[in-house]
Amino acid sequence: MDILEEIAIGVEKGDSNSVHALTEKALTQNISVGEILNNGLVAGMDVIGEKFKNNEVFIPEVLISAKAMKAGMELIKPLLAKANVESKGKVVIGTVKGDLHDIGKRIVAMLLEGAGFEVTDLGVDVSKEKFLEFVEKERADILGMSALLTTTMTYMKEVIEAVENANLKQDVRVIIGGAPITHSYAEEIKADGYAPDAASAIDLVKDLLKK
Amino acid sequence: MKDKYRLNIPRLNILSREKLELIHLSTLEVLRRTGVAVKEPKAVEIFKKGGCYIEGERVRIPENLVEWALRNTPPRITLSDRNGNPAMFLEENNVYFGTGSDTPNIVDLYTGERRITVLKDVENVSKVVDYLDEMSFLMCSGIASDVNSKISDIYHFEAMVNYSEKPIVFTAWDLENLKTIVEMAEVVAGGKERLKNSPFIALYTEPISPLQLAEEATQKLMLMAEKYLPVVFTPCLITGATGPVTIAGGLIQGNAEILAGYVLANLINEGTPFIYGGGIIAMDMATSIACYASSEFMLASAAFTDMARYYRLPMFSFAGCSDSSLYDQQASLEGALRILLSSLSGGNLVHDVGYIDSGLTTSFEQIIVSNEVIGMVRRITQGFEINEETMALDLIDKIGPGGEYLTSEHTLKHFKENWYSELISRVPYEKWEEEGKKDLGIKANEKARHILENHTPKPLEEKLKAELRKIVKSRDK
Ligand code: B1M
Repeated sequence: MDILEEIAIGVEKGDSNSVHALTEKALTQNISVGEILNNGLVAGMDVIGEKFKNNEVFIPEVLISAKAMKAGMELIKPLLAKANVESKGKVVIGTVKGDLHDIGKRIVAMLLEGAGFEVTDLGVDVSKEKFLEFVEKERADILGMSALLTTTMTYMKEVIEAVENANLKQDVRVIIGGAPITHSYAEEIKADGYAPDAASAIDLVKDLLKK
Repeated sequence: MKDKYRLNIPRLNILSREKLELIHLSTLEVLRRTGVAVKEPKAVEIFKKGGCYIEGERVRIPENLVEWALRNTPPRITLSDRNGNPAMFLEENNVYFGTGSDTPNIVDLYTGERRITVLKDVENVSKVVDYLDEMSFLMCSGIASDVNSKISDIYHFEAMVNYSEKPIVFTAWDLENLKTIVEMAEVVAGGKERLKNSPFIALYTEPISPLQLAEEATQKLMLMAEKYLPVVFTPCLITGATGPVTIAGGLIQGNAEILAGYVLANLINEGTPFIYGGGIIAMDMATSIACYASSEFMLASAAFTDMARYYRLPMFSFAGCSDSSLYDQQASLEGALRILLSSLSGGNLVHDVGYIDSGLTTSFEQIIVSNEVIGMVRRITQGFEINEETMALDLIDKIGPGGEYLTSEHTLKHFKENWYSELISRVPYEKWEEEGKKDLGIKANEKARHILENHTPKPLEEKLKAELRKIVKSRDK
């Protein structure tokens, strides 16, 4: 079996130690970081992602794979820029101001990371100023907001207005989610996308960045 | 106080004495070793004075302090109705049911469509709860989307107190709003002291799993303790996400979160009317839904109720709730199982009746059907008498082999002790056809409409009503 395949299987199994060791080994064998990323780490995550969609594996299994992928990513991350390998995209994500619901947003963030995106999770109770600061600083492609309360979801609109006012709207796609959010609300506040759950959030981000 | 609220058959115990002790001692270990993060500096100060070990916002609570607080449990917490008459004795095995709070959606009674909740819905739910026999207390069910969202909690309270006389368990968005709501309650009760003496309200507030006391939630808890008013402090721990995936681990962590709040309340005011309990909720690891009716959640609620009994604190439990997207067979079976189990374990303040869609939608049909199920279950938990009269040996001898009991005095005297339902169908098939082939959901819908169209709750005195209006208006800017 070739080493990239072994890495992919390590990711699929969620075996961080072996992924780490194999990635290290691959680097000494002068395999390009682009190949390690795409044919090893991401390939493994693609398999597990597909299985998740087909209800063959569950969230903890996907997250453990994402963790294994991260173990490999840590090694190649510093080399990616030098090798001119573009990241799949940068995501800044957080739960909006006044809202302390955390776990759904975390799942989305971790799965995005697993799918190969660079994710900055700002946590909960995030102000529009902080969202903007990190969108600029990270040069984010995607701004993701989560809200679980009807009383805080209106804040998403304020953030989108702030993004517009800062002339960032053409640089960053805004996506939203959370239990009370709907498609029509996303349209109403001019978000670029909405996802009802984590799996569809990944598809949504992939889709938006294709365009 | 009716006898029916009391469990008259042996309580369902799922934890042995040894297991209760083990969970308690393990909880003490978590509080001592790991502690909790307390985001409200005033609370940290109080913990510090109480003898806790403080590192920044991390508060580690010594065993003795928890044991001290647990010696202060109020023997009984009485919640009154709006008029100050005792309505619920939260103690031992008395079981009372009520609605839930804050769903974003409701199923419209007339169109059958799921839509966003408005203030009128909160009024309507209050009216229905006011009418229904087996609903002992009221929560707002939904969040009103058509009022100033910063003070929708205040609007909910006004609606509830206007449309029902039953005790109210309420949520408040922040400390300021809580103060306003308590002020309104004081107006209704006829003054601060009266409210304190016979409260008709309890605040719902909560820790944040894992092991955090958030700023606002803690401020709210502290205010209730200062005022010596009833407060429910209920974690909403999701096993495998915000707590260990195992029920035992979830129970211990959740217990630590509650007891941290309990210690704080007691450091402020010994014997604060504190209501224990909460959710140890299993997450569906395929869909990520936090399930309100999983077997694991039901089992955990039963175990939590055992812990509540062990501490002699009232239990805030769950029933009549479902993960189904609509009111259907799944909704009634899940709602019913939860009602049966929480009754058998003797949970005291049992809420969330009417939740479907994992707490995202309110259903009138679910409330109405749950009311029937509660009646049915109460007949079971009431047990039956065994004495000369009920054993009826003389009668058995008198009727003898081959006779009949239909015409005996004894039957006439006792047959009404059996429980009769308004909605549960027990008619021959053809009669059912003649009556329009209605299923339970249709009948429940009709009953809800009937209540809304015909029931007039006893209005609040005009003077009080006007005063409440004035308070709400003063906050609506
Ligand atoms: C960027 O792109 C995207 C894309 C997709 C995105 C996305 C972003 N974000 C989420 N998604 C989507 O993907 C995720 C994964 O598949 C999904 O995320 P979810 O977050 O939906 O799913 C999680 C994996 C599991 N689900 C959850 O974690 C939420 C479960 C429920 C039960 C819930 C919980 C656990 C909590 N709560 Co709260 N809570 C409820 C929830 C009921 C419900 N059915 O949602 C809800 C949301 N809460 C509610 C309320 C009212 C409150 N809560 C409160 C507090 C809490 C806890 C702290 C106790 C706890 C959260 C703990 C934590 N660390 O996160 C209070 C608010 C505190 C605050 N300021 O935020 C408080 C106001 C109660 C009070 N008065 O104290 C209700 C909101 C009603 C409304 N109309 O807005 C509620 C529906 C329950 C209810 N019926 O009362 C999707 O939505």
